[in-house]
Amino acid sequence: MIIFGLFSLSAIAQQDSTDADSVLLEQIRQEMQDGSEDEPDTGTQTAASANIRNPEISAIGDFRSLYTSDGGRNWDAFVQGVELNLSSAIDPYATAEFYPVFEGEGGELNAKIEEAYVQTLSLPFNLQLKAGKFRQAFGRINTVHRHALPVIDVPVAYENFFGEALIDQGVSLSWLIPNPDFYQELIVEATRGSDESPLFAFDEEEDTPQFLAHLKNFWDLSDNATLQLGFSGAFGKNENTLNSKVGGIDITYKWSPIRRNTYESFEWQTELYFSNVETSPGNDINSWGMYSWAQYQLSKRWFVTGLYSYSENPNLRDFDEQAISATFGWYATEFQKLEIGPKISTQNGFGDQTFSGLARWVFVIGSHGAHQY
Amino acid sequence: MKNLLTALFTILLMATAANAAKAQIKVVTTLPDLASITKQIGGEKVDVFSIAKGYQNPHFVDPKPSFIVKLSRADMFVTVGLDLEIGWAPSLLESSRNSDIQKGSPGYVDASEGISLLQVPSTVSREEGDIHAYGNPHYWLDPLRGKQIAKNIHDHLVAVSSENEAVFNKNLQAFNEKIDRKMEEWTRKMAPYKGTAIIAYHNEWVYFEKRFGLNIVAFLEPKPGIPPTPSQLGKVIQTIRSEDISVLINSPYFSSKSPEVVARNTDTEIVKLSTMTGGYEEIKTYFDLFDYNINRLVQAFKNQ
Repeated sequence: MIIFGLFSLSAIAQQDSTDADSVLLEQIRQEMQDGSEDEPDTGTQTAASANIRNPEISAIGDFRSLYTSDGGRNWDAFVQGVELNLSSAIDPYATAEFYPVFEGEGGELNAKIEEAYVQTLSLPFNLQLKAGKFRQAFGRINTVHRHALPVIDVPVAYENFFGEALIDQGVSLSWLIPNPDFYQELIVEATRGSDESPLFAFDEEEDTPQFLAHLKNFWDLSDNATLQLGFSGAFGKNENTLNSKVGGIDITYKWSPIRRNTYESFEWQTELYFSNVETSPGNDINSWGMYSWAQYQLSKRWFVTGLYSYSENPNLRDFDEQAISATFGWYATEFQKLEIGPKISTQNGFGDQTFSGLARWVFVIGSHGAHQY
Repeated sequence: MKNLLTALFTILLMATAANAAKAQIKVVTTLPDLASITKQIGGEKVDVFSIAKGYQNPHFVDPKPSFIVKLSRADMFVTVGLDLEIGWAPSLLESSRNSDIQKGSPGYVDASEGISLLQVPSTVSREEGDIHAYGNPHYWLDPLRGKQIAKNIHDHLVAVSSENEAVFNKNLQAFNEKIDRKMEEWTRKMAPYKGTAIIAYHNEWVYFEKRFGLNIVAFLEPKPGIPPTPSQLGKVIQTIRSEDISVLINSPYFSSKSPEVVARNTDTEIVKLSTMTGGYEEIKTYFDLFDYNINRLVQAFKNQ
C-alpha cells in the first residue's frame, strides 16, 4: 500500500508547482503514512489460515409450538430439529457437504445424517457429478431444507407424495445445457431406493435402482423478474417390490426490484405431482396433488405467505386432503426468523375439519450459508 | 456482381468482428467497480460483465441461475472477497463447473489481495451485527486502494493472456496516472472540509472517510446490518444537535424513511452518494464514482 502510495506521490510530485499543491502533497503523504489509518491486517491472515484447516460449520435450530383442534392433546412445544452443516472444498476438484441432523420425534431428538455428499467442481462438458446421500432434484421444495421454506407447514401434497423428503443414496449428474437463449439444466440421478418415501423403497431382491430426471428452465424476464419452469420424473420399486412412477411440474415467478430488493419482493410457486403406484400385480393407483403459494415481502423484516394444497394419496384409493394456511414471518436478521400461522385442513377419509396454529423460531449460528434462488 | 462482392465483403467483415469478439477475455465481476477497473486495464481485450448493479445492495444479490451461465463461459472472475459476497458468489461459482475461475486458478481474482484493511476485528461475534471477520470489505471506495485492485486484476489478466501483457501494462500505467491526477483534484476539493463530522446510514464508508478526511460520527443502523430503530435515531438526532452536524449520507439501496425522520428533526441535509459505479446514471466509470460523490459532498458542505 505504502509502496503504491509513494509511487503515486512521485507522479503527483512531478506535476506540483504551487505552494498550495505542496501543502496538499504533504497532507496526502501524512495521511498515507499515518500508522493509525491502516490497522494491521494480521487478523485476515489468522482467519484465512484457520479456514484451510477447518470446514465451514453452522448449526440451525428449529423450535416449534403447535395448537390443533384434533385429538386429545391440543397443544405441544418441541424442537423440530437441529441441523449441522459442515462444508469445504476437498481440493481444487471437489467439495464436500455434511448435514448431520437431530430430528424431533415424540419429544426425543434422534440423530441421523440427512445429507453427506461429494460434488465435483470442474468436469468437462459443463457436467457436475454428486455422489453420496442427498436431497433429490425433484421439483422445487424437495431440494430445500424445511427451515428455509417460507411456510411453516409443508404442503399436504408434498407430504403425501414424498413424506419427510425424497432423500436417497447414489449419484447425481447435472448438465448445464449450452443453450444460448436461456438457462437450462438437466439432472439425472440413479439411487438405491429411498426407504423413507411413501412412493419408493429399497428392493432387497432385485438390482433395480431408482431413477430420476429433472429439467430446469430459467428466464430473466427483466432485471427485476424471473420465471422458472421445471419438469421432473422418477421411477423405481415401492414397498410391494412393484413399480412406482411419479412426475412433476414446477413453476416459480419471482419479482424483486433490484434497488429495493431487501425491502420488497414477491414470489409465486406452484408444483403439480402425478403418480402411478402398483399395489399388487395388475392393480395400480393413479393420484395427483398440487400446492400453490404466494409470498409478499411487506418491508425489510415482514413477510406474509398464503398456501393452498390439494392432494390424493398415492397409496390409498378414494382419499383426498386439502389445506389452506398463512404464514406471517418476522426476519430479525438473515440469521433468525419467527413465524406464526393458522392452518385449516380437511381429509375426506377422516371427516371433520381440523384447525391448527403453528409457530416456529428458526435460528442459525456459525458460518454464513449461501442463499438459495 | 457488384452486389455479390459487397455481400461477400460484409460477411467477411462480420466474420472478422466475430473472431475479434471471440478472442476477447470474458470477465465476470461481482461488483460494477471491479468491472470498470477491469475494462480500463483490459481495454479492447476484455468483455466484462458485472453481476451486481451499481444501485443494488452488494451484500444481498439474488444468485440467479442466469449468472451461472455467464460464469460457466468466463475466463476470469473478480471478487471483492472478505465475505462481502458470501451470501451469493460462492454458490454461483460452485455451480459454474468452470475450473478456470475456481479459487487458486489464474482466472480467480480476489481483488482484496495486498489491500491494507481497516476495521479488522480482534474477536468476531454476531452480537456486533453483520460484521466481517476479515475487515471492512468496502475498500474500493478509496481510490488509492483502487490502484492495488487494478494491479491485482492486471496480474491475473497477464496470467490468463500473457500475449497481451504490453497492452495491460500500458493501461495499468495510464490508470495509475489518472488516479494520481484525480487524487490531486479530489483531495484539493475536499481539503477545506477536512475533519467535518457527518452521519451515515451504514458502516460502508470508512475507506472513503479516511482517504478524504471526513469524520463519520454515527450511523443510522444501531449495528451493521440491523435496521434503524427509534432509539438509535433519537441518539443520532442528539448527536447532530450537540455537534452541529449538517450532512447525512445515504446510499441508493437503503430506505430513505429513517434519514428523512432525522432530517425533519434537525437541519441536516440528506446527501445521496453512491457506493458503486452505476449507482446513478451519470456514474459510468470508477472515476465518475469519486467525481460524483465528492462534488455532491462539496456542494452540500457549501450549502451550509
